[in-house]
Amino acid sequence: MTRRSEYLFREVTTGLRRNGLVAFAAMSTTFIALLLFGLALLITRQVNLMIEATTGNVEVAVYLSDPVNPQTVQVITDKLHQLPVVQDVHYETKAEACARFKEIFASQKALVDNVDCSKLPASLRVKLADPQQYAQVAAVLGCQLRGSVYSCAQPGIENLVDQSRFLDRLFAVTRVFRVGVLLVSLVMLVAAAILIANTVRMGLFARRKEIGIMKLVGATNWRIRLPFLVEGLFESLIGAGLAILFLFGLKVAFINPLYGTIQFMPWVTNHDVMAVIPWLLVAGAAVALVAGLAGMRRFLDV
Amino acid sequence: MISAQHVTKIYKNGVVALDDVSVEVDKGEFVFIVGASGSGKSTFIRLLLKEEEATKGEIYVAGKNIGKLTAWKVPHLRRNIGTVFQDFKLLSDKTVFDNVAFALEVIGKPKHVIDQRVPEILDLVGLGEKLNSYPDELSGGEQQRVSIARACVNRPLVLLADEPTGNLDPSTSVDIMRLLDKVNRIGTTVVMATHDQAIVDAMRRRVIEVDAGKVIRDQSRGVYS
Repeated sequence: MTRRSEYLFREVTTGLRRNGLVAFAAMSTTFIALLLFGLALLITRQVNLMIEATTGNVEVAVYLSDPVNPQTVQVITDKLHQLPVVQDVHYETKAEACARFKEIFASQKALVDNVDCSKLPASLRVKLADPQQYAQVAAVLGCQLRGSVYSCAQPGIENLVDQSRFLDRLFAVTRVFRVGVLLVSLVMLVAAAILIANTVRMGLFARRKEIGIMKLVGATNWRIRLPFLVEGLFESLIGAGLAILFLFGLKVAFINPLYGTIQFMPWVTNHDVMAVIPWLLVAGAAVALVAGLAGMRRFLDV
Repeated sequence: MISAQHVTKIYKNGVVALDDVSVEVDKGEFVFIVGASGSGKSTFIRLLLKEEEATKGEIYVAGKNIGKLTAWKVPHLRRNIGTVFQDFKLLSDKTVFDNVAFALEVIGKPKHVIDQRVPEILDLVGLGEKLNSYPDELSGGEQQRVSIARACVNRPLVLLADEPTGNLDPSTSVDIMRLLDKVNRIGTTVVMATHDQAIVDAMRRRVIEVDAGKVIRDQSRGVYS
C-alpha cells in the first residue's frame, strides 16, 4: 500500500466511522421520536373513535323506584322536557330493560341465566343535546350526589346514572397519556434535529476545502447545500420508515387481539395507521430540513 | 472592466485595509498590484470577489455595481472571475482532469462541454499529458498550472491572481508568468497581486503600488519600485 492510499484509507474510514455513528444516532433518534409522535396520533384517533361511538349513545339514565307510578313518570318527563338541553326522553319499561340486558350479554349465557330480569329497574333515558350539561338534569329533579348514589327531592327516583361522567374519567386518563407521549416525542424530535444538524455540520467540515472552491468558481448556494440537505433528509426518512413499520407491528401485536372483545367498541384499523404515515413523513422531512439549514447556516454565508 | 471608486475597507477589528482607493482597469489589461504584506493587496482582491464588502465607495466589475449585488447573484459574478492563489487550492483526491472539470460541474455545465473544454485548457497550460495525475504527483509549478486551468476553463472576463508565484522558485515563476501573459493575450483581463520584484521588473506592465491601504503609484509599463 502506498503512503498516499494508506492516508486516504485512514481518512475515509475515520470519517465514515465518526460520521456514521452520528448518522446512526440521528436516524435512531428520529425513529423513536416519530414512533412516539405516531403513537400519540393513533391514541388521539382511538379516543376520537371512542367518543364518536359513545356520545351518540350517551344518556343520563333516571332509574325509577319500584313499583313504577305512571303519573310520576309523566311528572318527571314533563320536568325534563322543560330543559332546553334535553333532546329526547324515552321511557324504558322493565320488560324493555330486560330485553336489552339479554341482548347485550347474549354471549355470556351464564350471566343471562342467573340474573332475575324483574330486578332490573324501569328508567327514563334522557338524551342531551350537549352531554357536558348533565348537571342540569340532576338539578331540575332536585338530585344531589351522596357518596356514589344520587338522592332526589323528586319522589319515585331510585338513582341517576350519567354515563358521560365515566367517559370523562376515561378521557381524562387517556388525555394525560396522549399529551405525555406527544411531549416526549417533541423532545425526541428536537434531539433528532440537533443530531441531524450535527451530521450536516460534520459533513460540511470534512468537505470545507471543496466547498471553498465551489464558492470561488461560482457554484450557487443551493448547489452546495443540496447534497447535505439530502443527506439529512435521507437519515430522517429512514427513521420515519422504521417508525411506520413499528407502528404497524405494534398495531398488529396489541390492537388486533382486542378486536371484538368489547361490544360496540371501535379500535384503530390499518387504515388509521395508514392515515398517520403522511404526518410522520412530513414531520420527519420538516425536522431534517430545519436541522439541515440550521446546521449549515454559519458555514455557507457567501 | 474593473472600476473602484473611493473604496475604503475597515475590518470589524478596526484595521483600515484600504483607504479611499480609486482604480480603473480596462478590458484586456495586465495589472500588477504591488506592496508589502498587509498593504491591502489581498483585501482588494477579496472585495472584487465580494468575499468582503467595501465599507465605503463603489466597485464595478464587468459593468455591474457589485455592492448592489444580491447574495444569490454573487455566484454569477464569480463565474466571470477566475481566481488563482499562492496555495493552488487543488483537491488532492481528484485527478488533474477532475480538478478542472469540478469548476464546470458545480456550475451545472453539461458533460459534453466539460469533455471538450477541460482537455483544451489543459493543453493550453501545457498539461495535456497529465490529465490522470493527482496533484501531489505534480511539481509546484505544474500544480499552479492546474489551478490556472481551473480558473480559466469557464472563460472568465477577469483573472485575479493573489501571489501566484509565492510558493515557486524563480525559474518556475517565470514559466507561470509566461502562462499568465498567454492568458492575457487571448483577451482576459489579469490583475495580479505580488511582491515578487524580479517578475514585475521583467514584465514591464502597469503597476499599482499600495501602501498602508492607499494607492501611492499607478504607472503603466512600470517596475516594482
